[in-house]
Amino acid sequence: MDGNEVVINITHLSKSFTRERGRIIALDDFGLEVREGEFVCLLGPSGCGKTTVLRIVAGLEAKSGGSVKVEGKEVRDAGPDRGMVFQEFALFPWRSVRKNIEFGLEVKNVPETKRADVSKVLIELVGLKGFEDAHPRELSGGMKQRVAIARALANDPEVLLMDEPFGSLDAQTRNLMQKELLRIWSARRKTVLFVTHSVEEAVYLADRIVVMTARPGKVREIIDVPLNRPRDRTSREFIAIRSKVLGELEEEFEKARAAELSPE
Amino acid sequence: MRSLTKSLSKAVISNWLRLTLSAVSVAVFLTIWWLLSAYLRADWPFLGVKPYPLSTYERLPYWWDVLRALGRSFVTNPSPTGGRFMSEHILASLTRISIGFALALISAVPLGLLMGRSRNAEAVGRPLVELFRPIPPLAWVPIFLVVFKFFWGPIAIVFLGVFFPILLNVRLGARSVDPVLIDAARTLGARRSTIFVKVVLPFTTPYLMTGITVGLGIGWMCIVAAEMLGGVGGGVGYYIFAANTAGLYDLVYAGMVMIGILSVLTTGVAGLIERWVYRWMGMK
Repeated sequence: MDGNEVVINITHLSKSFTRERGRIIALDDFGLEVREGEFVCLLGPSGCGKTTVLRIVAGLEAKSGGSVKVEGKEVRDAGPDRGMVFQEFALFPWRSVRKNIEFGLEVKNVPETKRADVSKVLIELVGLKGFEDAHPRELSGGMKQRVAIARALANDPEVLLMDEPFGSLDAQTRNLMQKELLRIWSARRKTVLFVTHSVEEAVYLADRIVVMTARPGKVREIIDVPLNRPRDRTSREFIAIRSKVLGELEEEFEKARAAELSPE
Repeated sequence: MRSLTKSLSKAVISNWLRLTLSAVSVAVFLTIWWLLSAYLRADWPFLGVKPYPLSTYERLPYWWDVLRALGRSFVTNPSPTGGRFMSEHILASLTRISIGFALALISAVPLGLLMGRSRNAEAVGRPLVELFRPIPPLAWVPIFLVVFKFFWGPIAIVFLGVFFPILLNVRLGARSVDPVLIDAARTLGARRSTIFVKVVLPFTTPYLMTGITVGLGIGWMCIVAAEMLGGVGGGVGYYIFAANTAGLYDLVYAGMVMIGILSVLTTGVAGLIERWVYRWMGMK
């Protein structure tokens, strides 16, 4: 990270909502800077609001306070400058692989020949050559997520937001997809904000890992991962960082459990 | 390889088995009909017991006589049937059902979409739907025939029969759109109107097809009853009514068989269109 400009700038972000049982504070004074080309993982106990942070950056959810700037502009709505990949794949079942990938370009009224050029390159990049005309129901989970990544990249966004994208894949496919994602990332050099609850995934992928506190979510600690890629999951350095992150996280798990048990 | 041919032949056998079962079912039905008519017409008294004296109406015609009458109805036009051939009656019924169906389609689809996607529209529409839906379309027959007369009256009744299945299915479809698909469309730069056209509409299409198939079946029930009560104006329902008045009972049954055939044909066409739409959308 050679002193690149800050692409995502989150300061004093808070989010609360009302439920029957009263007001819930999901995020409280969350702050984070992500620089251009950086790969940052958000990690935390479930319910800590890591997905909420991502959805607010995406513009899918409104914040209650603070500021979220992408490329210096305050986020107000969803937009094609921030591509998003969902855990549920969220592919349009009635569209072929190619048509799914071209969705964003169609919305922008890009001419058909130009769209075909873009989708062709992306289909090759994500390794789906030969499946252009297949429909989502014909694809495995890993292939579906490849389509979703290509679809998000088709708009050439500044930022790629990924919400536990490999959470519903089996362990083998998951490892493969992590490797593939790094390959795609190094080809396109997007800024990535990646939500996960897997410590190993975070250490394997990220430049920096943001460990969040239990609800209300804020930044507990940011841990650098100064390892060269491709990373060896069994190396001593990898395991050392992994246990450090795990230690931080476990304390938050304990707090989360204690909060659950205590009557409000 | 052997197991493949084995399972293949197994599939062929079970296909044949099912075909045979269907054929047997029809054969048993026709046989019972035949025996029943033979008894009721006193041609073949059961164990020597004759039926009590029956009116002509109760003397069930043989099924081959019904089929013959049905065939005859296409080439003769006796005055009790309005001096029209069966084909003209079919055309009259088809015209009514098409118009009623088309009107229901173009009004129920936008209303269903609106109610499915907008809470305010739902608040406006829901009490009216709940109020009018439970009223059987046929309950409107007396009023509609007075207000809309013999051409538009039956059409209005078909309209009511088709309208609600389509409205309710489209509303359900529009309401069930997976929110993550809308989120995905938003992050890809789509705005409200684009989301509506590119996400909500295709998502709702299979639900619409179900509504159409259900609506068509109800439409046929409505048209026949409406025409029967309508008295004049032609149509297969009218045909049954007129033949009954004239005491031509084999023609009554012929009309009933005709309705069955027409309903099966139109539902079959709807099923074909449904399959074609699914394939076109890549959803099988």
